[in-house]
Amino acid sequence: MITNSEKLQYILAGVQKPARYQGNEWNAVHKNHSLVRIKMAFAFPDLYEVGMSNQGLKILYEAVNCHDDLLLERVFAPDLDMESKLREYGHPLFALESGASLADFDAVGFSLQYELSYTNVLNMLDLAGIPLYSSERRETDPLVIGGGPCVFNPEPLAPFFDLFILGEAEDALPLVLHELANLKDKGADRSEILKALALLDGVYIPAHYKPYYSEEGRFQGLEYLGPPGREVVVKQKMDSLDLAPYPTTPVVSYIQTVHDRAVVELFRGCARGCRFCQAGYIFRPVRRRSPEKIIDLAEKLITSTGYDEISLSSLSSSDYPHLDSLLEKLNQTMKKNPVRCSLPSLRLDSYSIDLADRLHGGRRGSLTFAPEAATERLRAVIKKNIDENDIYTALDSAVEAGWQGFKLYFMIGLPTETDKDVESILTLCRAIRERYKAKVKGSFRLSVSVSTFVPKANTPFQYEPQITVAEIKRRQQILINGFRKIKGIDFSWHDAETSYLEAVFARGDRRLAPLLEKAFRLGCRFDGWSDHFDFNKWEQAFTETGIDGSEHAGRKFTPEDYLPWAHLDCGIDREIFIREHYLAHTECDDGGSAR
Amino acid sequence: MTRIKFLFDRTERLAFLSHLDLVRLFIRALRRAHLPLAYSQGFNPHPRLALALPLPLGVLAENEPGELYFVEQVKAEEFKKELGSHLPEGVCLKQAFTAALDEPALASQVEAALYRAELRELPEIASQWNEQQVSRALSRMLKKEEILAPRRGKKNKTGYKNVRPGIIRAEIVKNNSGPAAVELYLKAGSRGGVSPFFLLEQLANETGNVSLSGECWRLYRQGLYRSDGKLLMTLPEGM
Repeated sequence: MITNSEKLQYILAGVQKPARYQGNEWNAVHKNHSLVRIKMAFAFPDLYEVGMSNQGLKILYEAVNCHDDLLLERVFAPDLDMESKLREYGHPLFALESGASLADFDAVGFSLQYELSYTNVLNMLDLAGIPLYSSERRETDPLVIGGGPCVFNPEPLAPFFDLFILGEAEDALPLVLHELANLKDKGADRSEILKALALLDGVYIPAHYKPYYSEEGRFQGLEYLGPPGREVVVKQKMDSLDLAPYPTTPVVSYIQTVHDRAVVELFRGCARGCRFCQAGYIFRPVRRRSPEKIIDLAEKLITSTGYDEISLSSLSSSDYPHLDSLLEKLNQTMKKNPVRCSLPSLRLDSYSIDLADRLHGGRRGSLTFAPEAATERLRAVIKKNIDENDIYTALDSAVEAGWQGFKLYFMIGLPTETDKDVESILTLCRAIRERYKAKVKGSFRLSVSVSTFVPKANTPFQYEPQITVAEIKRRQQILINGFRKIKGIDFSWHDAETSYLEAVFARGDRRLAPLLEKAFRLGCRFDGWSDHFDFNKWEQAFTETGIDGSEHAGRKFTPEDYLPWAHLDCGIDREIFIREHYLAHTECDDGGSAR
Repeated sequence: MTRIKFLFDRTERLAFLSHLDLVRLFIRALRRAHLPLAYSQGFNPHPRLALALPLPLGVLAENEPGELYFVEQVKAEEFKKELGSHLPEGVCLKQAFTAALDEPALASQVEAALYRAELRELPEIASQWNEQQVSRALSRMLKKEEILAPRRGKKNKTGYKNVRPGIIRAEIVKNNSGPAAVELYLKAGSRGGVSPFFLLEQLANETGNVSLSGECWRLYRQGLYRSDGKLLMTLPEGM
């Protein structure tokens, strides 16, 4: 094994949490590199503990490695100490399974989950000696592929990638890799390979599109230069989850990861249609896995991993029909090897509380809910269809069942929001605290976390600007001052600059690429981590590249405008976004005068 | 109820697991093997598996002892075969045998540990090694009556502890063909022990060659000992 080289052992002995780079986990797949047609590295631009919790990684690891002639290995963003050791010793960034440099793979596929991981993408390419720009790559360099939710607007990354896969990749990725193998056998060069791959469904080759800008610097659309008939790239989706490949032998980490448990996906998609929520739109339609299949997968997972906890995941788990009887059956099946079940993403209703009640045997900690907005009006604007009565009924039954506290999530900066809406977060939380502090045995814990709205592509709010950083800070100050006067509430809020950058990249176009490169060169890494985020460096990058981020984050699009992501079809009619956007504004009592 | 004691090796493939990672590895392997591990009674039941002494991250081990309890009858041979096939490369089960339920816990009997630190075989490290220099530094270190180590552990409890009494023996191992090595026989266990990493750092400081520190060494734990100086766990008669 190359990973066992004396040099690497020496490097690992000098870094924090070296197990992140050690590999050799249970269920890791080791294949002989000379016996496969295509070698791909799955690159996750965040720490091992985060990436190993990603369900997409597990699914694709299975979907590719189940083919004998294909290979998929894993690599994660090295932490800063590891990065400096790799640079100091000139050791290339390597895949965990074989220890081979990323540069030795036929393809490197990045999972793009979050805009603030983009500098890590560039850093990982750089650490492997792969040229950052697609146009600079040689015939021997790997094909750099992107996938994941950020591909619904990948434009700021466009020049760095050879291709993107839009949508669910469990079928599309093996097809791409097999086609790549055939093309390589035929001796096709890089541009021939890209032209041929462009013909596959869901494949987006950014180099086949040329952007235009007006003299005032407005994006004016793209000219298509690729093979005819593929101007619009259509999102790929699985028709049936029961037939989709599923990782029943996922890699089991030794160190604790963010979600250190077995996961069965109950269903994909969400029927609720909250207007801010990108996942709710891009993962449509709702596709359920059958109870029989879920139980079968759960059993296999527990046997192959040894986990003692299983998470039944989805975007809104209590929407799964007959979830109670499924849980019942699951418990029956698992009697010999008892496991705990957990349900993420619970709704705020008594049915959900009842389910949670049954899942938790002993100690009751906190339950987490996301009302998102504190006034009925604003919840109607964002289409989060719960009223205050629902909230109290749900919390009542939770307290009755013995829960000791709640964690509540809200957002500020939502379209049409006024100071009254912001202040209502204070009012609501104070009322919740007053209502339950006496009813709860012991001390009642209430924590409130407030994030800032980031408009995302392919949602009805894609047209909406983000409020300015100064305005974010002003509204946060209302909350900071307010919560200071309310005892017993643990209040936290998201950094304004972080949300701003997220919006810049979520809504921006290709002109942002030089900014990204500059930020990377200035040393920006792990921008989503508050302990690493350095906005001064970003400001320097904006200044040096002459890019005004607020033009991207704060731009209001009209339905007539060219959207940077208009050539990427998420499977939802544009009219639906326009209509939902219009309806959101008609929910607003004051006719939107607040803006 | 069955009590089983076992010996295992840890090799370089899994050198960088912490003690808790290693315990979790064993527990998950036992679950995969469908072996009926016993859990403690009480509000927060925990699995009844214990390693005799936490194995520090980065330290390799030969014949490292551990023990566990099963709720049902499990034969030692069956345990060894079943668990063995569910352990990853890097942790290898060497021996297993049933033990009396009333014997004291392994962990309570540990008094000392024997470590061997080998210099990694990299040119840039080997060039730092000067046997005379290290040998002189070692004897200087051992002549001291006091070697102060920062006290770790509980919050707000800072200060220093003299670890010199914890060094039972420390010497350079003559080895003509292999890499340069130092053997450390140190007090260990619940009544207090000395970290081999700390002593290697001290040694590096003492030589005046700080680049010889920490990560330059490959550390092996070669045995745990009782107060009478005997190995903590030896095979029962007839095995």
